Amino acid sequence: MSVKIGDFVDIAADGSNYKGRIMPNSSKDVIFLKLESGYNVGINRNSIKSIKLAKEVKKNNIKTKKTAVEQKKGLPKIAILHTGGTLASKVDYETGGVISRFKPEELLDLFPEIREIANIKSVFISNMFSEEMRFENYAKIAKAVLKEINSGVKGIIIGHGTDTMHYTAAALSFMFEHLNVPILIVGAQRSSDRGSSDAAMNLVGAIEFINKTEFHQVAICMHESESDDNCIILPAVKTRKMHTSRRDAFKPINDNAIARVNYKTRTVEILKKIEKEKPKKNVLKIKFEEKVGILKTYPNINANIIKCYKGYKGLIIEGTGMGHMPISQGENKKIFNELKKLVKSGCIVVMTSQCIFGSVNMNVYSPGRNLLDIGIISGEDMLTETAYIKLAWLLGNYKKDIVKELIKKDIRGEIKERILPDEYLSKYDFNKGTD
Amino acid sequence: MRPENFGLKIGIEIHQQLEMHKLFCKCPSLVNDPNPADVFFERKLHISSGEMGTMDAAAMYEIKKGKTFYYEGCSGSSCLIEADDEPPHNANIDALKTALEIALLVNAKPVDVVQFMRKIVLDGSNTSGFQRTALIASNGFIETSKGRVGILSICLEEEAAKKINENEKSVNYRLDRLGVPLIEIATDASIKDPEHAKETASILGMILRSSGKVKRGLGTIRQDINLSIKGNPRVEIKGFQDMRSIPKIIEYEISRQEELLKKGEMLKAEVRKAEPNLTTSFQRPMPSASRMYPETDIVTIPITNELLKEIKLPELLTNKAIKLEKEFAISPQLALEIAEDETYFRLLVERFKNILPSLIAISIVEVPKEIKTRFSYNASNKEIEELLGFLDKERATKEAMMKILEDRAKGKFVNIEDYKPADENIIVKSIEKIIKDNKNLSANAIMGIVMAKYRGKIEGKKVMEMIKSSLNS
Repeated sequence: MSVKIGDFVDIAADGSNYKGRIMPNSSKDVIFLKLESGYNVGINRNSIKSIKLAKEVKKNNIKTKKTAVEQKKGLPKIAILHTGGTLASKVDYETGGVISRFKPEELLDLFPEIREIANIKSVFISNMFSEEMRFENYAKIAKAVLKEINSGVKGIIIGHGTDTMHYTAAALSFMFEHLNVPILIVGAQRSSDRGSSDAAMNLVGAIEFINKTEFHQVAICMHESESDDNCIILPAVKTRKMHTSRRDAFKPINDNAIARVNYKTRTVEILKKIEKEKPKKNVLKIKFEEKVGILKTYPNINANIIKCYKGYKGLIIEGTGMGHMPISQGENKKIFNELKKLVKSGCIVVMTSQCIFGSVNMNVYSPGRNLLDIGIISGEDMLTETAYIKLAWLLGNYKKDIVKELIKKDIRGEIKERILPDEYLSKYDFNKGTD
Repeated sequence: MRPENFGLKIGIEIHQQLEMHKLFCKCPSLVNDPNPADVFFERKLHISSGEMGTMDAAAMYEIKKGKTFYYEGCSGSSCLIEADDEPPHNANIDALKTALEIALLVNAKPVDVVQFMRKIVLDGSNTSGFQRTALIASNGFIETSKGRVGILSICLEEEAAKKINENEKSVNYRLDRLGVPLIEIATDASIKDPEHAKETASILGMILRSSGKVKRGLGTIRQDINLSIKGNPRVEIKGFQDMRSIPKIIEYEISRQEELLKKGEMLKAEVRKAEPNLTTSFQRPMPSASRMYPETDIVTIPITNELLKEIKLPELLTNKAIKLEKEFAISPQLALEIAEDETYFRLLVERFKNILPSLIAISIVEVPKEIKTRFSYNASNKEIEELLGFLDKERATKEAMMKILEDRAKGKFVNIEDYKPADENIIVKSIEKIIKDNKNLSANAIMGIVMAKYRGKIEGKKVMEMIKSSLNS
């Protein structure tokens, strides 16, 4: 009997009969049925005695009620660019799968409350897991952003998977050498198919922030705490995903948040001075150097690993403590030699710290000084992720000598000369959010 | 009396909490954590407008209220999973095995592959916005005094958070209970009448307890009733914990529906809540199948022959009870209760050789209940054991035990030595003195005087015998 996914069938199996609809996750060994009760069950194909077609389904003809996309006068126009992630996903109740929704009317279906605060233009770029992002994707996103800016929008929102959101945020920050429109990167830690999703609130937070401030740089908007009370606007180059699953996974590192948006009152509390003066033109530089890497050091690391970076133009070493690597004793001396060779070959090597918080200072201990002596550059208080994006972008657009100068210089807020006492973990009361 | 064919259809659903760690995390299933809350957060639940067409009526009803949900929990009994800030871990395998055990005890056929579903619940009682639930087995039956009752399904699901209070704008929940494993058994509509519903619930309760893996006490088991008459839509009644109220609830609900029909009104498929007076009130619209979709964070679980072989079916409590009744000469009711704690009981019988096993049975089953009813005093197992030790050593009576517990309940300082059995010769002498001093006293009056002094130190029956023999001599 030939039956296919979506068909309604009657199955007689060993010991039990089942009536239901064939689900897409069926395999060659197991048929998954959605029963009338709503439950899905798996039935081993070899236990099936007979299978009868009850109702054939020609094609998936689910009709969703369409919401008219009307432009409301007086509301700012905001472009939402989709790159992927769980921000705009919904459940297909017929198949039980989670599908992405990107059309403007679908977006308004998903987040009815945003029609009250903005006229939304929705742009599809890609639907990818964020860890799949490559430099070419950054270029594509940046070009799409520029196109929307030129069409005249108040701000840009980029829907993004959360895993590498902070890399993309940094990339956009560097790519736009001049920017006069805010770009907010928004994600969700709980997909929008579920009632408890953080997507709607994060989106509303970003829109309210765009609407109510003069901000014109790149930032991330996510939950501030586990509660659905405040969104936090975070600096693109000083933010990191610090938890695999919490709503408030994104935290500023060696820095403070830009603003807080209250979801109930819709008030925006500015936490950091926002530059009012906007550049006249937007300047975009989309090139990246491909041959740049990140190496995390650890005890007993083998010198051969460094050989792998032969031919690389740039390398970020995520060192221990204030910027160290095992180079002084026994077997470790080989590492020192390999590093020397790598720098000599023309590779720009920058040191960051796996402590995450705090600044690199390679003058304190002799191994640090030895690394400086062979030409390794201190990454100061830059995040490893930001340093990597910055180095690749600099190498893509500037000559080596200039790269060596700029990598040490603060150009987008990625290096801070003063780290304040409250810019550390202890400020987070995880039940109440940052303060 | 209603005609036979007025089309009454009754089915019941039993929800039973399991005594093991939570279903999708390693938090203990405390249900009521005694510690003060140290975790707090608030949430909103969202729903997309485009789904209203297909959106389940029950889910819509909740979301339209637009309430804020405030949660509190203890870090000892809830983790990030209860906070919906971490995906679920693999299902508790012991819970799955218990569900399979129960399925086999009710002659049901386990599914080949279990798939957990998300059942949309938007009243805030699940932080995720859905309850995780899986069909474990179907197509079973149990034997009752009025014939077979079919078992439609055995499901394994997570318990919801407990509502603390509620107002117009918000609801407060406590997280302790969220995620406790729950077995749901649903019967078909072959239950014959209200009394039969109670019997069915009682048999299912006994089967669940036979596993030895279920929680006991108030609130750990709940029954829902599904009811329809004359082909009208089905009504589900929730919210009562005492099985004994089942027949009344059903009777009242039938009368309510008949009233409506008489007035020419339509009956609606809805969920109704049982009130303390056993009538029902509207709670929410009936949920439909559209509120379920797969829980993609949990892989599907094949029920292999190897897994089924690991499941050892327990002896039913009713069967155990029959044996205990004979072996220890105790009443059937007492035997059934002892059967639930047979190992403990046998341990005590072994330990206190001077006490009749029937008295031990009474001491651990009935004495604590009686003391609780009469003096609102919770006698612990340890306390009962201490008193059994006293009875065993001093050949004291059950009355001594009752008196000690009574005095403790009243807050008196108790020195067990004071409750030692009295010397019978002294009592006889005392009786004779009373008779001598008060010539016209009745036996009962003498009894009153003697017992006031010696209660707990000698059995009343024995005193009466002494009085009678003294009066006759």
